[in-house]
Amino acid sequence: MSESGVTLRHHSTLSAGQGSRRRFLRDAGFAAAALVANSASPRIWPQAPSASPPTPNPASPTPDYTIEIAEIEWELAPKKHIRTTAYGGQIPGRVLHLAEGKPVTMEILNKLDRPEIVHWHGQWIPTDVDGSMEEGSPMIPAGGSTLIQFTPRPAGLHWYHTHAMANRDLKRGLYSGQFGVLDVLPRVNPAPWDQEQFIVLHDWNPYYSASGDGSLMVNYVYSSVNGRMLGHDQPIQVSQGRRVLIQIVNASATEVHWLALPGHRFKVLALDGAPVATQASVETLRLGPAERITALVEMNSPGVWVLGEIRKDFRDAGMGTVVEYEGRSGKPQEPDQSKLEWDYRTFGDPSPIVRQPDVTVPLVFTSRFRGHGALDQWMINGRSYPDVEPVLLREGLRHRLVFENHSTDDHPVHLHRHNFELVSIRGVASSGVHKDVVMVEAGTTVEADLVAANPGNTLFHCHQQDHMDAGFMTLFKYA
Amino acid sequence: MHDRYAPKTFNSDEGARLKVILILLACALALSAVQARAQGNYEIQVYGADTVEPRSTMVELHSNFTADGQRNYIDGAAPTYHAEHETVEITQGINDWAEVGFYIFTSEQSGLGVQWVGDHIRPRVRVPEKWRWPVGVSLSTEIGYQRAKFSPDTWTWEIRPIIDKTAGRWYFAVNPALERTWHGPDVNLGIGFSPAAKISYDFTKQITGGFEYYADYGSITNIASLHNQQQQLFPAIDLNVSPKWEINFGVGIGPTAATDHWIVKGIIGRHFNWGHNPR
Repeated sequence: MSESGVTLRHHSTLSAGQGSRRRFLRDAGFAAAALVANSASPRIWPQAPSASPPTPNPASPTPDYTIEIAEIEWELAPKKHIRTTAYGGQIPGRVLHLAEGKPVTMEILNKLDRPEIVHWHGQWIPTDVDGSMEEGSPMIPAGGSTLIQFTPRPAGLHWYHTHAMANRDLKRGLYSGQFGVLDVLPRVNPAPWDQEQFIVLHDWNPYYSASGDGSLMVNYVYSSVNGRMLGHDQPIQVSQGRRVLIQIVNASATEVHWLALPGHRFKVLALDGAPVATQASVETLRLGPAERITALVEMNSPGVWVLGEIRKDFRDAGMGTVVEYEGRSGKPQEPDQSKLEWDYRTFGDPSPIVRQPDVTVPLVFTSRFRGHGALDQWMINGRSYPDVEPVLLREGLRHRLVFENHSTDDHPVHLHRHNFELVSIRGVASSGVHKDVVMVEAGTTVEADLVAANPGNTLFHCHQQDHMDAGFMTLFKYA
Repeated sequence: MHDRYAPKTFNSDEGARLKVILILLACALALSAVQARAQGNYEIQVYGADTVEPRSTMVELHSNFTADGQRNYIDGAAPTYHAEHETVEITQGINDWAEVGFYIFTSEQSGLGVQWVGDHIRPRVRVPEKWRWPVGVSLSTEIGYQRAKFSPDTWTWEIRPIIDKTAGRWYFAVNPALERTWHGPDVNLGIGFSPAAKISYDFTKQITGGFEYYADYGSITNIASLHNQQQQLFPAIDLNVSPKWEINFGVGIGPTAATDHWIVKGIIGRHFNWGHNPR
């Protein structure tokens, strides 16, 4: 039971005002620099936060971690180099192992000539440190730095990434290499395991292409697992009988990915860091942009395998990594599944628990055609960000979010600073699956319950970079 | 063909880039040694730079009716007046920068019945989208035979550079095609110049309207007089009702004496995917 009197199943309780809200600024001239930087930004709406930056605290603590944002030259494979922006000179950025409930101090150095911002995806933290300028987090000015402190929660597999807009610049935002794993301990799954492997998916060298339905879309030349193309990274070495905990983050700007490991099954323990009600075993995993899956794989099929995309085009582009049993060698066997099937309800309560909401919030997704040579404009309830009416939440109440996707695209919609429980998918009841990103397939409706328990501005948006840049966002505010 | 189909492949490497360049160069060099001639009203289409994606096939039916055209036999070739030309075009995608098309031409008109006219084959390469050029660029070459009863020049060859650009709701394409006759009375005419162009506007996601222009200026070394040039302007619409279908309709006006004066054309095409994974 939380302080607000609301019970959340399966994961830690959350109460308003918990954790440190302190934020420290190193640059005396931060506010002025931020304003100057904002004026030069290519964004289609102002990046300046509505709130004033927090008062600098002269007693700045020593940072637990430092993240440097800078341009790098990165080798995806021999003779396949890209120039991109990354954290700490590597792709993905280092895995940050944090302790739930223990305040952490992050120093972020922005070596770029433009403002940047880092979002702590999946964390229930205050608006000024969440890393979203729409909520009120300050941008880190070009060449500047910042020191932030927050208390990590909830535990589980999360990630940190840029929340800057890209608009038509396909080298910015999540098209770049600005992402890393946030591993908040203790792990929320109780399953025993012998070995842990983080897998971070990404797609590179984006370009615009005509889609089948006539609108522009983003395609990619290369794909990678942990920053390397298939066949050009060290194999994951395993031994027969071992249980490997695989923690996967889809850090792609726009692509859904389907993964398989031939001869093995994934026992799904958690989705988006939250334990699932039913730990079902599946052959394939689907991850929309920003989704995470924690799964256990029992190594009981000796050989050399490719853990990778089940679609050959993506594997050819590099989406995969080799899993090699001890003492085995030879050509890796690739996934050959042809079925693309995924249902969140597989991991829910076998008999869904029906609850009545206090408030129903319809969120209708539509697009406006702007020509075969232009990106569609995206709208929630007929409005594009920033021209939106915020959704009002009442603390402690159960809000039923009704995601109605009237478009012809699937959308991975994400809610900051909270998560929600899926209560129906295509009209079929569900419970026991908690997410902060959910794929709402074209022409379908998904309902999710949000218990409002973390006051402050909260951003809701499609996690496809091209969609959020084209207005697919709105703000939730507490009444 | 303004084909808005989206290739979804990643076969990108320097080798592919080199192959495209070599094929473009080879076609350009080959043209210097041969020449071509305009074909009849069997396929009336301005090409876009897109190619059919790999592991998929495009089947199109071109239906052209000459409401007011040539009424007499010329050099033994049948008149076009009230002729109905039906052409089947089958295009197979090879990879994300190449396709091959094959045509079956037929004609139906009073006194002649339904007749097979000839066949063409048309390999085409393009600059892949992933090169991110500011315009679409493609190069098509077409070799074919048509019976002398329908065209005095029985063996012809065409090379067609294609440049297009989509900007918001506007679309522009230009096809400065060069033609040469291999066998027939025009074999000594040299290289003919037969440009085509298109401009269109997306009124809605489904309806695009604009103008298509087709011409035959005769030999590039001896441009024909305006009277003897072929000039046609087609107000045309494209219906984008489904990614699987392609529909085009237009009415052409030919103001010069050497041009069929009124032509009604329609194209209906269907994409077939073979083993494609959905996105």
